[in-house]
Amino acid sequence: MSGWTQFRAILRKDLVRELRTRDMLVSMILFVLLAMVIFHYAFSVKEGADLTYFTGGMLWVTFIFAMLLGLNRSFAQEKDEHCLDGLLLCPVDRVTIFLAKTAGNLVFLLIIQAVAVPVFTLFFIERNYAGDLLPFLVVLLLADVGICALGTLLATISMNTRSRDLLLPILFLPLIVPVLIAATGATTLIFAEGAGFGDLLARLLFLLGFDAVFLVAAWGTYDFAIGE
Amino acid sequence: MKKLLSAPALFAGAGIFLIVGLLLAFWWAPTDASSMGFSQKIFFYHAPIAETALVAFGVAFVAAIAYLRTQDLRWDRLGYVSIRLGLLFSVLVMLTGMIWGKAAWDTWWAWEPRLTTFLLVCFLYVAYWVLRSVVDEEQRRATYAAVFAIIAFIDVPITFFATRFLPEGLHPVVIQAGDSGMEGRMLTSFLISMLGMTLLLAALIRRDLEIEDLRDRVTDLKTSLGG
Repeated sequence: MSGWTQFRAILRKDLVRELRTRDMLVSMILFVLLAMVIFHYAFSVKEGADLTYFTGGMLWVTFIFAMLLGLNRSFAQEKDEHCLDGLLLCPVDRVTIFLAKTAGNLVFLLIIQAVAVPVFTLFFIERNYAGDLLPFLVVLLLADVGICALGTLLATISMNTRSRDLLLPILFLPLIVPVLIAATGATTLIFAEGAGFGDLLARLLFLLGFDAVFLVAAWGTYDFAIGE
Repeated sequence: MKKLLSAPALFAGAGIFLIVGLLLAFWWAPTDASSMGFSQKIFFYHAPIAETALVAFGVAFVAAIAYLRTQDLRWDRLGYVSIRLGLLFSVLVMLTGMIWGKAAWDTWWAWEPRLTTFLLVCFLYVAYWVLRSVVDEEQRRATYAAVFAIIAFIDVPITFFATRFLPEGLHPVVIQAGDSGMEGRMLTSFLISMLGMTLLLAALIRRDLEIEDLRDRVTDLKTSLGG
């Protein structure tokens, strides 16, 4: 089997398993919607206050926390059912496993974003940003790749430790701050002021660089992270 | 040569350079011409400590790569001793930075890019310690710690770069004493302090490695005595 076929097989396995039970997706989507309600109450400090400037931050905080939920879940299943042992016994390159797991997490993140973004827009954003939809989608995709690549690597490490899901946020949150800064800044510019590719160029290049650096770093270290 | 690199010799060298650097900073280097005036003197401590913290994490980064290549636990030990000291120096950076911030900007804490980066660095390497504490098996602990040390070290400059994206309006005006504007006598005093601080790091790493070796020997002895 070629690497590409293996990649597709593992990705397909993750998607099919999730779509059978929908445990993870349902709880992630509910979490995102609940977070929105919580944010609404937390930030309702003044009548008629415009939350447009805070929505970018709210969105990315929500996505990152939702991803933590999803990452823990996706690896807990692998571990509990000994699925990962089976996967490791197969003659599959570890990097292929990493890329397939990352792609699977990316798909889940994109699904919850497809639900969350319209709802957040409806409730919080007073400006119409339809004209900047394309740059916004690029920001989403670039930031998501970074979040999923780093998240997958760290979730692989944390699931092999004693404290498992408790450890992941402690490892993941400080490392993901650069993505949060760049993505929140870009999103806020789009929501609040309207920004095209020109205005976002520095941030987009930064996100692209982050993705590239951590994909390569994960590529080089995943062999060790996943264990024997 | 070996004697020259022993812990006591390194400590002595560090002491001499640090004291000379401090004397020069106070009595020879001119007082800063900008609004900071005398409070700028803390720079001769603050910046070398920051540089040393980064050197310590750099050592850990190299040790991590070496460990993953060789699986030799001595590299793991060097890595974790370096990170422990780097963390100590980072806390000192934050403390001296806060003192300086109070004197220069009249605030204990400003979300200034460098200070913010060091705060995150502290969290990152505390996470490294948490990670070490939850893996029991020695070889596996070393491997995970090495992977995380590599990722964390790569993340530090990226974070620093990202803090530049934060809106400028939130920052107080940052006076960049470290930039090219440093006058000759200031620069000399600064470089001497920096050399002293780096030697101090080397001495501390040396000593900590010796302590860890002793700890191992004690454990071995206890085991051989059936304890």
